[in-house]
Amino acid sequence: MAFISSGYNPAKPMEDRITDIGPRHYAEFYPPVIKKNKGKWLYHEIIEPGIVVHVAESGDELFAVRVGGCRLMSVSHIREIMEIADKYCDGYVRWTTRNNVEFMTDSKDKCMALKADLLGRKQPGGCYKFPIGGTGASITNIVHTQGWIHCHTPATDASGTVKATMDVMFDQWESMKLPAKLRISMACCLNMCGAVHCSDIAILGYHRKPPLVDHEYLDKMCEIPLAIAACPTAAIKPTKVEFGGKQLKSVSVKEERCMFCGNCYTMCPSMPLADTEGDGIVLMAGGKISNRIDAPKFSKVVVAFIPNEMPRWQTMTATIKRMVDAYSADARKYERLGHWAERIGWERFFEKCELEFTHHLIDDFRDPAYYTWRQTTNFKFSKTG
Amino acid sequence: MVEFKHKTPLIDQLETGPWTSFVSDIKREHESRMENPKGIDYQFNQECCDDLLGVLELSYDHGRTHWKHGGIVGVFGYGGGVIGRYCDQPEMFPGVAHFHTMRVNQPMGHYYKTDYLEQLMDLWERRGSGLTNMHGATGDIIFLGTSTPQLEEVFYELTHNINQDLGGSGSNLRTPSDCMGQSMCEYACYDTQEFCYNMTMEYQDELHRPAFPYKFKFKFDGCPNCCVAAIARSDLSFIGTWRDDIRIDQKAVKAYVGGELKPNAGAHAGRDWGAFDIQKEVIGLCPTECMSWDGSKLEINTPECTRCMHCINVMPRALRVGLDTGCSVLAGAKAPILDGAQMGTLIVPFIKVEEPYDEIKEKVVEPIWDWWMEEGKNRERLGELIKRQGMQKLLEVTNFKAVPQMIKEPRSNPYVFWKEDEVPGGWKRDINEFRKHHQR
Amino acid sequence: MDEEATKTLIVETLKKKKGKSKFYLKDFYKMVPDEKPRAVKNLVNQMVQEETLEYWSSGSTTLIGLKGVGKQAAADGED
Ligand code: HEM
Ligand code: HEM
Ligand code: HEM
Ligand code: SF4
Ligand code: SF4
Ligand code: SF4
Ligand code: SF4
Repeated sequence: MAFISSGYNPAKPMEDRITDIGPRHYAEFYPPVIKKNKGKWLYHEIIEPGIVVHVAESGDELFAVRVGGCRLMSVSHIREIMEIADKYCDGYVRWTTRNNVEFMTDSKDKCMALKADLLGRKQPGGCYKFPIGGTGASITNIVHTQGWIHCHTPATDASGTVKATMDVMFDQWESMKLPAKLRISMACCLNMCGAVHCSDIAILGYHRKPPLVDHEYLDKMCEIPLAIAACPTAAIKPTKVEFGGKQLKSVSVKEERCMFCGNCYTMCPSMPLADTEGDGIVLMAGGKISNRIDAPKFSKVVVAFIPNEMPRWQTMTATIKRMVDAYSADARKYERLGHWAERIGWERFFEKCELEFTHHLIDDFRDPAYYTWRQTTNFKFSKTG
Repeated sequence: MVEFKHKTPLIDQLETGPWTSFVSDIKREHESRMENPKGIDYQFNQECCDDLLGVLELSYDHGRTHWKHGGIVGVFGYGGGVIGRYCDQPEMFPGVAHFHTMRVNQPMGHYYKTDYLEQLMDLWERRGSGLTNMHGATGDIIFLGTSTPQLEEVFYELTHNINQDLGGSGSNLRTPSDCMGQSMCEYACYDTQEFCYNMTMEYQDELHRPAFPYKFKFKFDGCPNCCVAAIARSDLSFIGTWRDDIRIDQKAVKAYVGGELKPNAGAHAGRDWGAFDIQKEVIGLCPTECMSWDGSKLEINTPECTRCMHCINVMPRALRVGLDTGCSVLAGAKAPILDGAQMGTLIVPFIKVEEPYDEIKEKVVEPIWDWWMEEGKNRERLGELIKRQGMQKLLEVTNFKAVPQMIKEPRSNPYVFWKEDEVPGGWKRDINEFRKHHQR
Repeated sequence: MDEEATKTLIVETLKKKKGKSKFYLKDFYKMVPDEKPRAVKNLVNQMVQEETLEYWSSGSTTLIGLKGVGKQAAADGED
């Protein structure tokens, strides 16, 4: 492998430099039918799961086929998407906000040929390369973060939990039989990079052990004031320790103050957090983003901890499935999961979803906690107590 | 047959089942790199995909990550756009010992043409791992994994040959993102793509170089359905809305009632929910009870409608958003860390969204930034500053007039911190004057 | 204060700091209290262009320090 220069000169980084040019202009990538009809669309209709027709005032039609994607995509896979886009869509293609790919065609015939082609493409183990669905009252793709593929603070894997969940929920992806759309999101630590906190169901990685402190190396590798400043709960203090007969500068962690966020590890590689037994999954439920009928809502913690079970996370997926099934059986048309839980009451939600209620689920984090306790005698009795 | 160095029985299990498999995909890339039919002179480790699978298998084996953070921020002069990553088992997995990501500013609406994608893929295949995220949670194209020397090379080729810049990370303006809006969606109340593009270009300096106490996000949703989740995750969210009547096509309403049109654009077709009942499904679910249906005519009492989108979502062929459109601006949304999650708070009920957007930039964005840059603590998001110093302070720095639209309900305590100039005569009083009428 | 003097002041202030090589942008505002934050920000970013200062990022926050100073670069094995 010989280094090939792009033209960049490290001795003179500013030479010939181009900066601040932003992204390419989106209009370069609009298919002609969109250029022509932008802002003049009349209505859309889901003609079957995964296929939406958009009809413009001009009478033009656009058929969009929605296929699921792993957010992690290889160049080879994207080249296959390009080949399909060239074959059926004049080279145009778009991604959705939830890691799906939309192929846009201008006729129903092309669209149906495209569909057959897409479903025929499988990976060596039999998985669809391009599963079609995710429209309407369904479970669409799971937005997620990096997990063990790339991040330093995850408490679980992202791609794997998503794959395991989508396999179990595949039937809901391909159909539109839920009372309303159901959005699942995944974030691998409490930083919640993906902002999963407003999803019908959120899968969240969570640590339960404070960081280890590698006293021997800490002062060599880390700037102690930065590690201290990184901690959101001020749990880290400077200290001196005896090590190998020497006094070393290091830090101590006030463990009961730690909220397991991993910020210290970001600043200081001598404070790793990951732990086999400590790490696992939190499930949250009942959030939403849309303003439809009522205001957006945060998701609530409904299962405080499920251990990591690689590679399939079967307890987690079974718990999610129980929630989805209970919701699907009991909710009214148009009712999102959170609406349903509020209508029947959270005490009933736990009963119907067969979830154990534990003290961990009562909020004790700062000011907002009080507003989540019950300040009325109006409650429902549940069978379980 | 391409060889794999690492045995990966645990993650191999994820090559089964119907959903598309990222494991199969990474293997595919490894095969492509080893076979190298195009004779590419790879500038980043050829076996990186195999090593990535190896690291992942190890993590699956004992449930712990093997990545370390690195503070490399990017290319020269930029404060963001790169996330530094090192493997904590570099001898076992040399191909991914250094594995930095680059954030590439996505085209608005995530629209692509294959010739442009091809340029990006050729570049990343040659100078990186051949793996991407389409897309990162913020919206950027993520190039996943390369070495330090390649960062500048990739940037040089991006800017010189593809006319394409990086996105933001760190205490910068993060790459703004938008819903597909008017390009495909009839609900859109303004051109999200153009507004998003314009703001991205206007604030390139803030996007590439640290300017703030912490990250700052703009997101653009064309209507209150909020497909990019602006209201939940952006410091300033611009959500399309309108002021006039919902446009009603009475004939189409009848067609829904008569069953000729499928409610909710066919979204519920997978289950038999019985005949469409406009009274129950639309009139009855309207949160403001502002609709009526007498069997032949649908009426909406516009001043009472809160534009929640429900009726429009149910009967898209009969109802359309109004024509006097613009956006609502909400401020301060953030994920839970540290003081709990916050939704955006409504600070501008309605503003027109018209090029060149000067009113929004000068009256909303910049005064808020000035305040936050001045008063925000290190790593304090805008929403936390608003909580700490109060909504009143926000109104003060922006000169927005307080209106009841900004609140759910008025305060339930009377503890108003009156300012001296709000009270006639001010606070300076003469005790002797007081004593003339009140004995000691 | 003129620009060059401000730059020198910033460099000198940074050199005096013990045990810590990276700072938030706000810390620079404090070094130059008479200037508006925006002006300090522009100056600091300019000093990065001139290779006096450099950025360090946690992924979520950016820190700034004298170029080449600090323990992180060594820890990353990139020095
Ligand atoms: C013309 C009508 C609409 C179109 C064309 C449209 C299109 C889209 C698309 C393409 C996505 C990304 C989907 C994916 O990745 O699978 C999306 C996401 C979403 N849409 Fe819509 N949508 C429409 C109506 C609605 C309605 C009626 C609602 C709510 C009642 C809604 C709420 C959402 C939400 C909450 C998301 C997910 C946002 C997120 O979690 O990131 N949309 N929409
Ligand atoms: C102290 C807190 C945080 C730290 C140290 C942190 C660190 C990071 C790092 C290192 C990454 C890159 C992951 C990778 O590519 O390997 C990342 C990604 C990201 N962060 Fe954070 N983060 C923090 C808080 C947050 C918060 C509160 C939000 C949202 C409000 C957020 C939003 C994001 C997003 C959207 C991404 C891209 C994620 C993806 O697409 O995978 N981060 N963060
Ligand atoms: C410096 C602060 C306060 C002082 C000196 C004070 C003093 C008093 C006194 C002397 C009484 C008896 C009045 C009477 O029976 O003639 C009283 C009654 C009461 N105070 Fe306060 N108080 C203070 C703050 C508060 C606050 C902050 C609250 C509520 C949030 C409160 C709620 C009440 C109530 C509910 C009563 C009973 C009223 C009634 O039933 O007649 N007080 N307070
Ligand atoms: S959620 Fe946490 S672990 Fe996951 S990518 Fe973000 S910072 Fe990393
Ligand atoms: S994990 Fe977070 S809360 Fe715990 S010590 Fe580290 S920085 Fe502090
Ligand atoms: S937010 Fe509204 S305008 Fe934008 S795509 Fe979603 S439904 Fe359409
Ligand atoms: S948009 Fe919502 S509030 Fe307005 S009429 Fe329709 S259902 Fe009622």
